[in-house]
Amino acid sequence: MNDTAIKTTELSHSYGPKAALKGLNLSVGEGEIFGLLGHNGAGKTTAVSLLTTLIPPTEGTATILGLDIHADADEVRRTIGYLPENVQFYGNLTLLENLRFFARLSGLDKPDARIREVLEFLDFTGHESERLSTFSKGMRQRVGIAQSILHNPKVLFLDEPTSGLDPQGVRNLREIILNLNRHFGMTIFMNTHLLAEVTQTCTSIGVLREGELVYQDSLAATLTAFPDEASLEDIYLHIEARPER
Amino acid sequence: MNSLLVIARRELTDLKRTRFYLILFGFLAVVMILSVIVASFDFRAKIGDYNLYLDTLRRSGSTETPPAPQLFPLQLLRGSIEYLELIGALFAIIIGYGTVAKEKQHGTLHLIFTRPVSRFTVAGGKVLAFAVAWAVVTAGVFVAMIAALLVIGNAPLQLIDFERLALTAIIAWLYLMLWSCVAMGLAARARRASTGLIVALVAWLVVVLIIPQIGDTMDPDNQVPGGLFKSLAVAKPDEKAVMANFAGFDDIRNGLEVSSITKHFERPAFALLGIKDQYNQQPVGDVWASMLPYTITLTLAFMGAVGFTALATTKRALLRRES
Amino acid sequence: MPQVLLAVFVGMVTASSVIGWLTNQVVTSVYDRTFAAGLTTQPNPFSAVSPLYYAKNTVIYIILIGALLAIVLGVQSTIRDRKAHTFDLVLSRPVRPASYLGAKLAGLLCWVAGILALSALISWTSISAIVGSVLSPGDTARLLGFYALAWLFLLPFIILGMLTGVYSRRETTALLVPIVIWSVVTFVVPQLGTAAHPVSLLNPVPAIASQGGVFQLANLVLGPLSLTEHFKQASAFVLGDTATTGSPLLSLVVMVAFAGCMLVVLLTTQRDRMRSPLDE
Ligand SMILES: Nc1ncnc2c1ncn2[C@@H]1O[C@H](COP(=O)(O)OP(=O)(O)O)[C@@H](O)[C@H]1O
Ligand SMILES: [Mg+2]
Repeated sequence: MNDTAIKTTELSHSYGPKAALKGLNLSVGEGEIFGLLGHNGAGKTTAVSLLTTLIPPTEGTATILGLDIHADADEVRRTIGYLPENVQFYGNLTLLENLRFFARLSGLDKPDARIREVLEFLDFTGHESERLSTFSKGMRQRVGIAQSILHNPKVLFLDEPTSGLDPQGVRNLREIILNLNRHFGMTIFMNTHLLAEVTQTCTSIGVLREGELVYQDSLAATLTAFPDEASLEDIYLHIEARPER
Repeated sequence: MNSLLVIARRELTDLKRTRFYLILFGFLAVVMILSVIVASFDFRAKIGDYNLYLDTLRRSGSTETPPAPQLFPLQLLRGSIEYLELIGALFAIIIGYGTVAKEKQHGTLHLIFTRPVSRFTVAGGKVLAFAVAWAVVTAGVFVAMIAALLVIGNAPLQLIDFERLALTAIIAWLYLMLWSCVAMGLAARARRASTGLIVALVAWLVVVLIIPQIGDTMDPDNQVPGGLFKSLAVAKPDEKAVMANFAGFDDIRNGLEVSSITKHFERPAFALLGIKDQYNQQPVGDVWASMLPYTITLTLAFMGAVGFTALATTKRALLRRES
Repeated sequence: MPQVLLAVFVGMVTASSVIGWLTNQVVTSVYDRTFAAGLTTQPNPFSAVSPLYYAKNTVIYIILIGALLAIVLGVQSTIRDRKAHTFDLVLSRPVRPASYLGAKLAGLLCWVAGILALSALISWTSISAIVGSVLSPGDTARLLGFYALAWLFLLPFIILGMLTGVYSRRETTALLVPIVIWSVVTFVVPQLGTAAHPVSLLNPVPAIASQGGVFQLANLVLGPLSLTEHFKQASAFVLGDTATTGSPLLSLVVMVAFAGCMLVVLLTTQRDRMRSPLDE
């Protein structure tokens, strides 16, 4: 039996009067790849922002490997890695400089050896002294993955990691995610609205609708629970269409 | 390495590599040097006029020798200091705004705040970067001006002159830092960074240009091209005597000028450099002492701006979504 | 920004009549004192000034606030199109860039004319109130003439803003480059020609050129480029300020030339320039 990596209890957040996340109860085991599905505006980014200590919960709590996201925020930050949606990094800095910056902020004092290791793992060497302003979207996304794993986080949060990538880029990224999980046992929490992503990478899924979690189960259980459905897309639509309980 | 230093270092690298900023700094240096050149040519022209005048006096058989215009080299810096207060402040705003706007735009703040950094680290790192950048730029333009004085103005500078210049450079640094911090705080607070820029630009317009301008045009002497008293052929001591009767009006005018922080930079700068006749060639200690109130308010304003930007540049303000 | 600037502008136009009047009261008594003390025998340079003299600070506010407002309006009008990619849409229709940009400019000019008309009304009312009688038709015509000059003066700045809005890679540069150019035209160019100190150029009284040979030359070369000085010159003439010298006709020619050149540049903007993407 796995230990719990991420556990949320009635986790909620409102932007002013707008409730973006409503009483999220979720549990993700260590070593899992969890996919959080939902339409645009469902509250996925809000959930990740809460778990990565960017915004405080208006109600409820959550723990990452037993650490409270509010009380032990700094410990949580050392434990997690994060790749936000659409981050562009510092175009005036080289790849190496960008990575050094984030490594140092994560507490690595002599980061160069580790950076080399990570870049080799990502098969991304040879660009160290190029400025990021010259990088393509796909390359930037690799920079994003690189910076997120520099400090060997146990839990990795990825917000819509494949958005805007071409098919080859999507495939590369998927392999990287699976490798991270396999080789380092990283727990991965990813947001997506691309259903194909989920069937090919995730071990369990959850579905958000207007801030509420309407479904959570393992991928295998989901596929057996809906034997008539041809694809996850249909399941997703099926769940989405269910009347509220 | 401390996170604050990490952030400051990155900021400095970014400043150094942004071509637009380098152009701005270069532009500032160029106009300040040009101004020294113009002033020294102007002085030469005055000497020429004087010699002509002397000739005509001689020819008309007069033995009287009017005093020759005397060169006080530091006075040639007047225009440069004015550029620093006008254009320097504008550039300080641009830079202060830029550091926040870029990060908001590139989404990097979201990453920084998931790292174990404390509350004031981001603001502190950026302010530290400004401090270094403005120290370098201020030192640079002052060295350039000194070079211009020595080479073009052909001016003999004494040790005491360097002391005056150094003190002026320090208050210039305070003044520029103030604007950068205000602009950074405004850009951080505003939902859209560009709104913060606009507020800062309007503040610049009002504080740097409009208020001192009102004070300037209310000066009776400025009502006639070339000066009222000059056109009436009234000498300086008589001018003072007449103006003593208008102390109330002058108080209002002064109050207006003093409400602009720019004057709290300009007045000590002009006093230290001897641009204001009253303080010309006075001992530095005396000038410094009589300008202390302005230097104190400038320092307080500087500290206020740093405090404002430290409080405004919070995670919460920075991560607010643009709408 | 336009709203804030507009508020500052209208506020300053209103204040300027009061400031002008107050200053004039003081300076007249300064003269009286000087004369009474026997320090001068010159006639009072202010005895014959027209009431329009009170509005002369408005000249500066046109140069300071009006020009910045014009720049911002210009930048926004084109950058907005690029941000929303509406240029792409418009240019896929049978529309020539010149007619599209020209129409935009015409719209902005109407807007600016409206603002200036409002300012003229404010000036007229406040001066009438200060003098205690309605301005004469002649003075009213002069005031209107001055605001027409202001409109002509602002035109190149609107176009400058539109152009940087079309050519810049970023919104910030689009806004800042014309402001820097404005500061060069307002401070640097006149300083080089006259040796006047930058801040003193914010006095509505035009700067007098220094007499040295270098400056005569510099003034000859740079004089035509001192748009703001020419605007001051022409305004002083129109407002009936007898103390200023210089040729108002030359100033008018310079202003028209500036406007004309900028117009040509704007109307020859290339189609693909307008479609270049923003870096944001
Ligand atoms: N900073 C914010 N301020 C106000 N409302 C926000 C903010 N961020 C998100 N929202 C709103 O909260 C809801 C959830 O947003 P988000 O978590 O970004 O959804 P998702 O990532 O699933 O697309 C949306 O309705 C969005 O408009
Ligand atoms: Mg999202």
